[in-house]
Amino acid sequence: MYEVYFHNFKKRVALTEEEEALIKSYLSVKKIRKRQFLLQEDDVCKTIAFVEHGMLRSFSVDDAGSEHILQFAAEGWFISDMLSFLTEEPATFNIEAVENSELVLISKSAHEELLKLSPKYETFIRELITNAYIALQKRINANNSQSIEERYEDFIHNYPDITKRVPQHMIASYMGTTPETISRIRKRLTTRK
Amino acid sequence: MIATQTIAIIGAAGNMGSAIAKSLAKGNYNLLLQASHVQKAQGVLNEIKKANPDISAEVINCSFEASWEADIIILAVPYQAEQVVAEKIREVANQKIVISVSNPLNSTYNGLLTNELSAAEELQDLLPNAKVVKAFNTTFKADFEKPFIKDTQVDAFIAGDNKEAVATVKELIETVGFRAVNAGGLSVSRTLERMQLLLIQLSVANNYNWHAGWKVLHN
Ligand SMILES: NC(=O)c1ccc[n+]([C@@H]2O[C@H](COP(=O)([O-])OP(=O)(O)OC[C@H]3O[C@@H](n4cnc5c(N)ncnc54)[C@H](OP(=O)(O)O)[C@@H]3O)[C@@H](O)[C@H]2O)c1
Repeated sequence: MYEVYFHNFKKRVALTEEEEALIKSYLSVKKIRKRQFLLQEDDVCKTIAFVEHGMLRSFSVDDAGSEHILQFAAEGWFISDMLSFLTEEPATFNIEAVENSELVLISKSAHEELLKLSPKYETFIRELITNAYIALQKRINANNSQSIEERYEDFIHNYPDITKRVPQHMIASYMGTTPETISRIRKRLTTRK
Repeated sequence: MIATQTIAIIGAAGNMGSAIAKSLAKGNYNLLLQASHVQKAQGVLNEIKKANPDISAEVINCSFEASWEADIIILAVPYQAEQVVAEKIREVANQKIVISVSNPLNSTYNGLLTNELSAAEELQDLLPNAKVVKAFNTTFKADFEKPFIKDTQVDAFIAGDNKEAVATVKELIETVGFRAVNAGGLSVSRTLERMQLLLIQLSVANNYNWHAGWKVLHN
């Protein structure tokens, strides 16, 4: 239930049994089914979700009704609308389960308590947020400077697992393109080989 | 829009569990109806689906699984069964709202089985990391079908220490159709449990036919 979470935690920061028990007392575990929402746009995001098992995605919907995927989160990743979580402004994203999933959740109030009580929790969270920041910066840079082919190749190289597990139209939405374009790129890649 | 919350009703085939489930089906919730044998709750589920064709609801026999998936857990079991259920669900009830509906009545209805602490406080001790809220204990099963008695809306009292949890439970009470009255912290549940003891005694003495309730009159 918390195995992946604490495995990840201890990779970064060592924990005694008491420290682990303290942190655990502030977490909650939740199962969520495919297509259920953890967060809907305009609601305030009150949790950070860590994926133990399964996969979630965050996305926004534009005025024309098209979805734009910001992030996929598979085992060992966390997902939230950090802007909404930190500022308590309405969320601009939806978070939905792509597969039946098991989550470890931390609420805003529990998160704040733990930041005060546990320096190790603070270190862990700082690392997670730093890594997410780096990933976001890389993604923006790639969007601005790389061709769609290059970005797609990087994606399937970096995330072979996600490539297999999510439908192609979602990868297209993540890349900011159409499923047809992704199809064409895939064909080119296979003929090149 | 708010992401639909999942509510596990433990003991959903019982008097209270089925009444609560049917009433909450009017709201926007996913319902998990727990019963020791799924056939027992199947009738309740059928009724709910007939009245609310679009609802997401299902029966489940494992209280641990139901609570794992839930955001809110309602324990609609007798006081005597609460300890066993609490032990089963402890790990997955962490940080979740757990609603205590029980009235710890003795077998002759002339007193309570609890000592100083209320049943809800005992449940909080059994589930130290859950947010226990006392609610739905001062209303009879029949009140759920008819939350107005002779044109007067029945009051339903809430006691809990966690503000956010109390606010969420207030929404459930309003979904059922009662007027929600925030009575205070969890220790006020001692009074709420005694209020129901009195209402039961009055109901027996005066033939209220188990359709009676409390109303606070005020200006
Ligand atoms: N009836 C009312 O009007 C009313 C009003 C206010 C509060 N309450 C409170 O609500 C709770 C439920 O009352 P109820 O009238 O709904 O009772 P009930 O009809 O007897 O239902 C209780 C359910 O709890 C489950 N259960 C689990 N362990 C049990 C055990 N050891 N003994 C008996 N049942 C067990 C049973 O389901 P499974 O067999 O599926 O496990 C049963 O269907 C009680 O705490 C009561 O004080 C009742």
